[in-house]
Amino acid sequence: MDVTSLSVKELRAGLDKKEFSSPEITAAYLDRIKKIDGSLESYITVTEEEALTAANEAQKKIDSGDVSPLSGIPLAIKDNICTDGVKTTCASKMLENFIPPYNATAMEKLNAQGIVMLGKTSMDEFAMGGSTQTSAFKKTKNPYDLTRVPGGSSGGSAAAVGARLCAAALGSDTGGSIRQPASFCGVTGLKPTYGRVSRYGLVAFASSLDQIGPIANTAEDCGIILNAVCGYDYHDGTSENRPEEDFTAKVGMSMKGVKIAIPAEFYAEGIDEDVRKAVLAAADSYKAMGAELVDVSMPSLKYAVAAYYLIASAEASSNLSRYDGIKYGHRSDITGDYNELITASRSEGFGDEVKRRILLGNYALCSGYYDAYYGKAMALKQKIREEYNEIFGKCDIILTPTAPGVAYGVNENIHDPKKMYQADICTVTVNIASLPAISTTCGYDGKGMPIGMSLIGKMWDEATIIGAASAFEQGFERVPANI
Amino acid sequence: MPVSDYIPVIGLEIHSELLTKSKVFCTCSAEFGGDKNSRCCPVCSGLPGTLPIINQTAVEYAVKAGYALGCSINKFSVFDRKNYFYPDLPKAYQISQLNLPLCINGTVPIDYEENGEKKHKEIRINRIHLEEDAGKLIHDDLNGVSLADYNRCGIPLIEIVTEPDLSSPEEARTLVEKISLLLQYAGVSDCKMEQGSIRCDVNISLMKPTDKEFGTRAEIKNLNSLKSIYRTVEYEIKRQARLLDRGEKIVQETRRFDDNKGETRTMRTKEDAHDYKYFPDPDIRQVNFTDEDLSRIRNSLPEMPYERLEKYTGKLSIPEKEARIIVNNKRLSDLFEDALKCYNNPKSLVNFIIGEIMRRMNLGEIDIEKPMFTAELMAKLVEMSDTEKVTKSDAKEIFREMAEKGGDPEDIAKREGMIIENDTGKVLEVIDSVIAGNEKAVNQYKSGDVKVFGFLMGQCSKALRGAATPKVIKEELEKKLKSLT
Amino acid sequence: MVKYLAKLGKLSFTDEELVKAVKDMTSIIEIMDTIKEIDITYDPLKDNHNVYLKDLRKDEAMGSLPTDKLLMNATNSENCFVVPKVVE
Repeated sequence: MDVTSLSVKELRAGLDKKEFSSPEITAAYLDRIKKIDGSLESYITVTEEEALTAANEAQKKIDSGDVSPLSGIPLAIKDNICTDGVKTTCASKMLENFIPPYNATAMEKLNAQGIVMLGKTSMDEFAMGGSTQTSAFKKTKNPYDLTRVPGGSSGGSAAAVGARLCAAALGSDTGGSIRQPASFCGVTGLKPTYGRVSRYGLVAFASSLDQIGPIANTAEDCGIILNAVCGYDYHDGTSENRPEEDFTAKVGMSMKGVKIAIPAEFYAEGIDEDVRKAVLAAADSYKAMGAELVDVSMPSLKYAVAAYYLIASAEASSNLSRYDGIKYGHRSDITGDYNELITASRSEGFGDEVKRRILLGNYALCSGYYDAYYGKAMALKQKIREEYNEIFGKCDIILTPTAPGVAYGVNENIHDPKKMYQADICTVTVNIASLPAISTTCGYDGKGMPIGMSLIGKMWDEATIIGAASAFEQGFERVPANI
Repeated sequence: MPVSDYIPVIGLEIHSELLTKSKVFCTCSAEFGGDKNSRCCPVCSGLPGTLPIINQTAVEYAVKAGYALGCSINKFSVFDRKNYFYPDLPKAYQISQLNLPLCINGTVPIDYEENGEKKHKEIRINRIHLEEDAGKLIHDDLNGVSLADYNRCGIPLIEIVTEPDLSSPEEARTLVEKISLLLQYAGVSDCKMEQGSIRCDVNISLMKPTDKEFGTRAEIKNLNSLKSIYRTVEYEIKRQARLLDRGEKIVQETRRFDDNKGETRTMRTKEDAHDYKYFPDPDIRQVNFTDEDLSRIRNSLPEMPYERLEKYTGKLSIPEKEARIIVNNKRLSDLFEDALKCYNNPKSLVNFIIGEIMRRMNLGEIDIEKPMFTAELMAKLVEMSDTEKVTKSDAKEIFREMAEKGGDPEDIAKREGMIIENDTGKVLEVIDSVIAGNEKAVNQYKSGDVKVFGFLMGQCSKALRGAATPKVIKEELEKKLKSLT
Repeated sequence: MVKYLAKLGKLSFTDEELVKAVKDMTSIIEIMDTIKEIDITYDPLKDNHNVYLKDLRKDEAMGSLPTDKLLMNATNSENCFVVPKVVE
């Protein structure tokens, strides 16, 4: 049996029945990483020794009957989630040697369950991008086709899951950074409701939009991981105190009578024909399961990309100001005064895309421009929320494509920022409206590249979208990446 | 045009640290000082991934300060980021408040004397907002570098912004003094200028009586003593008047006051002024207040200086001059209030505080922040002196020891044999022996020569060595002599 | 404009980089300008999450990070972060 092809749920069952041990499965993943990751480049750091130690510890606990849902399960962590004592680079030269002296809350929660961390996965620099090609270290490839991108920014996590280099992974999603790479890599990714998972220890890109979430083989696995990392955190004033719930509770639910909204604007011009067809076919299979499809509209979608980029970049320009090479991070060798040193450190440490976002953020916020850009974008944010509220007044979930197309070639798009930004059209409104959404594979194009669809839920209703995604997954035959 | 013909238009921005236990956005200690970088955590040192968690007490204190300064409170308040790069600011933004500060529209009355004339003025407060303090830079000139210590990063700070209602150095000085007194009474800040827990920026412009609009203003940053505030305003008015007289323009700029030279110098001009890119901090939820919150905070405001002044000059019949002296120092006023609970003699306590405690404070013998004696024991001493259990001069001796090392005045008096016992038996014993030993004098007295009474009295006092008061000796001696005739 | 934005963000560009940055920014701002056609204003009250005074963190001081851990990623001296001379 190849343990690396099992889901988290199956691994749990196998571990509990002693069909295999945590050190065994850990070794199997580490083995695959050694074999495959040289060409896939999904990990920036592989923590082999720590992983084996953690696996032994976990096994002892399992043997003694002290078992949590994730005990002994080998996971990968996106490299913008702080890990005490383990380099956290954000795929930036700026943080090449940065070792956090503390753990992110999500990491603490996973550790408390006794997970085995295999390593830190690559990403677009500071989570800015949709291709993982802006990584300063590992420009991850797509497990279905090594000449294509894995998506981004959590491209390392998604590729590692798709290539079976970990059982599941944590990513982060600011404008689609979990869902889009999950879609490109043929796996399932969940962006939880804003405030569901503590952001403490997640290196901030855009504070009002960032959210940590799981990337896994199944929607149910996403639920299991969300169960572990969710919850109010004293260290994050934007995390919310919600009643405890099991996010896998609706797995196996009936789709009968579930109202699924199909917003026309998400299927309009700019969406590849293959994608449109596959997602609408998925809608039909939901209908066949008894769901009701409702045509709805989101008139403000055409402003969403602009609103998103203005808000995200404004916040990013402020969040990234702390990187000056003085306290941590890249410090230039030049001799000069404070101003010259930090300007050189920042110019050397940040890549082109990060610099563009800083420029755009400063543009949105600087005096004389604030009202026309940042102020307007914030107003649009409120408008988009209202439009979502209206849809949710008559529907339970919303079905959209995750991305306008499938994974593209490693050299495409990334030189044209305008094209790259517009590709985020399907995902950004979810972050703007703080909603939960899950992307799962709903088909493949002519070349076998995975196509993803997204189910958007009401605030705090991850359980329903996990249940609905799972209902689809159970009747859909996935084609694993042949790598 | 002489300086006096211009109308100075002055506004202040006063920064005051709040007396919370922890910092405003993290749980590090907010105490002053500490070993370098020993009171920092991932949050206040701006490590990647960290988030601010706002301190309830800091918000409450800022609101309390607002009430102390007669402000209205915004029931919905927003925190913003003020972005700028400086090595004492680890996040490269300061969490502050722009459009919806906690407190707005206050008034602070000031009373002062100028050119021998008593004056009163009401100064409007534009706003009070809550923000975080920055760290400290220690300049190492030898190596040509600065060393950053972040202990002060995140200490809660309120910024009080006045309207440009001030027009003289004396008014500016008086307002800062008054505000720091109000904040101390409210119990939200200790306002120790020497520790930088209250600092002040001054905005000044001049206008001619015929002008309709304010002139161009200069801002002088970071003044940390009442004296430097006074001197800055005085200097700046002269400087600007001189320029205007010469027909030159005032440049809108930020200036710094040089304490040694007593003059202000350009720090930066408008051209390189900061663009702070203020925007609402997405990490901090807006703060709401219920009416109950606000009335509770308002009611928690202790007795304020003007209330005490009224009480002292009214019910307690203390002369206004003395009453003001006491009220203007919160520590002394608290000491007085506490002492009054133990010994209800306001006049006597006031005299002791002004005559004895303040004298020793001026000599540097008493640190009123950390006195060695308690109000209770101080009251006891004053009472002992008033009831003639010790003599007035012994009371001063006793207090000298209390001020230096503390202790109970009764114990000290006993140890030093300063207690006046007024034991009638003992007094009569002594009188008997004096009468027996001075037959001649006694006879003189009997024959009507009352002048010798003084001599006999002296003999008794000498033999009693302070164990009885002259009054008692006199009474008993008179009785005795009368019985002999 | 781009030069000013770069200065605000403490970034420097070579002449060549600047040309590219200007080109990129021009095309990015084209997308951003689409929002100019819609006339709406932001209302901060709509973003109220109903956090009240009682919900805020209690004022308790807890331990800090050991100084060596605080400084472990920095050039440091005498338990401080080393900063070159500041020119105001």
